[in-house]
Amino acid sequence: MTFGVFRAAAAALAVACLGQAALAQSIEEKAQVCAGCHGEAGKPTDKAYPTIWGQNQGYLYLQLRDFKLGNRKNEIMNGIAKDLPREDMMALAEYFSQKKWVNLDQPRASEADVKRSETAITSGQCGACHGADGIGAGTTPRITGQSHDYLLKTMEDFRSKARANNPWMSDILGTLQPEDLQALANFYAGR
Amino acid sequence: MVSKLRQSLATLAFTLSAGLMASGAAHSQEIKAASKWGDMNTVTQDLLNRAAGDGNNFLHTNGNYSQTRYYPNRQINVSNVGKLRPAWIFQTEVKESLETSPIVVNGVMYVTTSFNHVYALDARTGEELWHYKHKMGPITVYCCGPNNRGVAVYGDMVFMATLDAKLVALDAKTGKQVWEQEIADPELGYSETMAPTAVDGKILIGTNGGEYGIRGFVKAFDAKTGKNLWTFHTIPENSVGVWATKDATGRDMHRNIDAEKAQLAKTGDPFKTLGGGVWQNPAVDLETRRIYFVVGNPSPDLDGSLRPGDNLYTDSLVSVNLDTGQYVCHFQYIAHDVWDLDSVSPPIITTVADKDGKPIKGILHAGKTGHVYVHDAKDCSLVRFSEAMVPQENMWTLPTKEGARMLPGANGGVEWSPMAINPNLGLTYAINLHQPMTYHVESSNYPAGKLWLGGAFKVIPSEEQWGNVSAVDYNTGKIRWQVKTAQPMIGGILATAGGLVFTGEANGMFKAYDAETGATLWKFQAGAGVNAPPSSYTVDGKQYVVVGAGGNTQIDYKRGNSIIAFTTAD
Ligand code: HEC
Ligand code: HEC
Repeated sequence: MTFGVFRAAAAALAVACLGQAALAQSIEEKAQVCAGCHGEAGKPTDKAYPTIWGQNQGYLYLQLRDFKLGNRKNEIMNGIAKDLPREDMMALAEYFSQKKWVNLDQPRASEADVKRSETAITSGQCGACHGADGIGAGTTPRITGQSHDYLLKTMEDFRSKARANNPWMSDILGTLQPEDLQALANFYAGR
Repeated sequence: MVSKLRQSLATLAFTLSAGLMASGAAHSQEIKAASKWGDMNTVTQDLLNRAAGDGNNFLHTNGNYSQTRYYPNRQINVSNVGKLRPAWIFQTEVKESLETSPIVVNGVMYVTTSFNHVYALDARTGEELWHYKHKMGPITVYCCGPNNRGVAVYGDMVFMATLDAKLVALDAKTGKQVWEQEIADPELGYSETMAPTAVDGKILIGTNGGEYGIRGFVKAFDAKTGKNLWTFHTIPENSVGVWATKDATGRDMHRNIDAEKAQLAKTGDPFKTLGGGVWQNPAVDLETRRIYFVVGNPSPDLDGSLRPGDNLYTDSLVSVNLDTGQYVCHFQYIAHDVWDLDSVSPPIITTVADKDGKPIKGILHAGKTGHVYVHDAKDCSLVRFSEAMVPQENMWTLPTKEGARMLPGANGGVEWSPMAINPNLGLTYAINLHQPMTYHVESSNYPAGKLWLGGAFKVIPSEEQWGNVSAVDYNTGKIRWQVKTAQPMIGGILATAGGLVFTGEANGMFKAYDAETGATLWKFQAGAGVNAPPSSYTVDGKQYVVVGAGGNTQIDYKRGNSIIAFTTAD
């Protein structure tokens, strides 16, 4: 009796481990696909590609979901997310959020850009959500240290509503001038 | 499936820990005998029912089921309040907005912080008994800070609702989790900051999310198991209503009913994403088995074009049956609100004079509009509304793309801050904000659970902001006294049988006022914004007043992490 129970428990344990290994493997495998653009070691292969290593989990998940739903438009990412089930999106988000954020060694913003950014940050209350340090949390992204070219493009996309998956960000950035966006991209990239 | 598994794991963990404790090993977290009357930690329903007359404990977020926040002990009173001194200060691990109402059971105090920590403290000394940190899920969406307003107590358990929209039950003695239940899906914009209400084996809870296109509710869960017992949707499937053109005070709201009707024909009833959060506690009437709560704003806040109709039951007082969640009655203050001037401050049950001066069971609610509304509890109808406690200008001018100025600003008037009453004086005490804003509209489609304001509210930087404490005669609607404060007020207020009213300010001042005249009788500088409702309790025969000083995220008041208990110097 005891032995039987033990064996059953052991078997269950083994299955659980296998299951976990299989899942872990498939997530690592799936993550391999991402490395082609988002980087083998967290540094994206192109300046237009965002850093996703060390990004906040809730945010990563919601972006994948939005790419899948088509609420955020990008040919590459819409294709990649199209067939991802929710569990995979969540697991990928968790996987990348646990990696260390990579310093891209981008230049610090000029004094004029810092000044211009500070005004924009006060009026747009960026710190209220992204935090005073721009690190965000949960479903709000880290923007400090993000790739400059990507930051600028995505802010311009919000402004023009080419990126339409967060109307609030579109509204805030809509109240700023194009030069503000340039200053902000320089400022956050180089912090 | 997953949640069921998680629940059984939690149960297992609980059984294990309970087993360990029973094995007799002295447990380091064991709570000491709480008072000289012995260790009576079990919170019975009878104890909860009698809270209004309980001069020892503070058992409900708003004092008692009627939510009067009127504490019956008079040991600290107008003649000795000048001698009030800090008895102890406890510093939490989290330096962020404190909105907790301390709950005290036989000398044990329970407080919560931002990001869902719970502390049990020795109410005499401030010594920590246990500390629980909620393991937050990856998805949290909340508009106005990672706040939490406290716990409910029932039996041997302590209950808290979390930012990731879960309800957790903790063992009151150890702080160990007994069960956890999902209240709603945070991915769709649901989150929790309110304290639950415990009554007759049920845990009642509403939801945040009026800024995210949720469909609001109040739910009842079984206190022992976490099973969902009933759900009342604050947004009925027919949310259109009567096409009301005037607000509760008779002012025209400038609705374009024809355009709304055309939109309704085109897109149908918007009930699925219409908002209507409930994020403050219901008042409970055990005599009639009814609860009374207020429902928040429609989604999106500023853009009415996508949500034709009165948007029932947003911006309303609603009553439902305690046992079944069945609708009883409602009263809508603002139909088709496009200013976020909704209803948040928790309702109070008390005897009021009806229009003929006859005493009836009444309901009080303070609106962001700056009025105290007085209702007949029988059918929710409006008996009267008070003079405006803050300036009102250009009401109801519609939001525009460029921004239209209107007062009050979108935070009120009275925000979530609970009122307190003194039934002997017939006064209700409210704290107010004066924050001039412009209202901007910018239409966008439902963004799948993300922030959906339909525009923006902007503080006008050149205009002065301030606040006030107002005492309103609820039998006449007249303001009895008012004290202006340097900053807009958010937090809460406590009245006591000692003829006092306690409330705190953003600049760190915590003050006691004479309930009858508004004279400042005592003050203390807490070092961070006092933006939480105070509580009072008595242990070993000594009365204390306690409050959190942690500032406020939403209007960016100086953060801190102190729970401060005061008592009179001997
Ligand atoms: C062929 C290149 C490519 C591959 C492969 C790729 N991505 Fe992307 N990804 C992009 C680009 C380009 C963007 C920016 C899209 C935009 O500008 O809107 C992006 C954006 C993202 C974002 C949004 C980041 C942010 O800050 O908003 C996430 C999350 C993401 N990708 C995850 C992944 C994951 C996970 C994989 C693998 C399963 C993956 N990507 C594979 C090119 C790629
Ligand atoms: C009310 C909260 C809030 C405020 C204020 C706010 N943001 Fe955001 N921001 C967000 C959220 C949430 C997202 C994620 C958008 C999504 O869900 O797709 C975001 C996204 C972004 C992104 C895209 C990051 C990426 O990896 O693609 C940038 C850049 C950004 N914000 C910059 C700013 C700047 C600059 C300001 C101030 C001018 C600002 N934000 C103000 C909440 C806010």
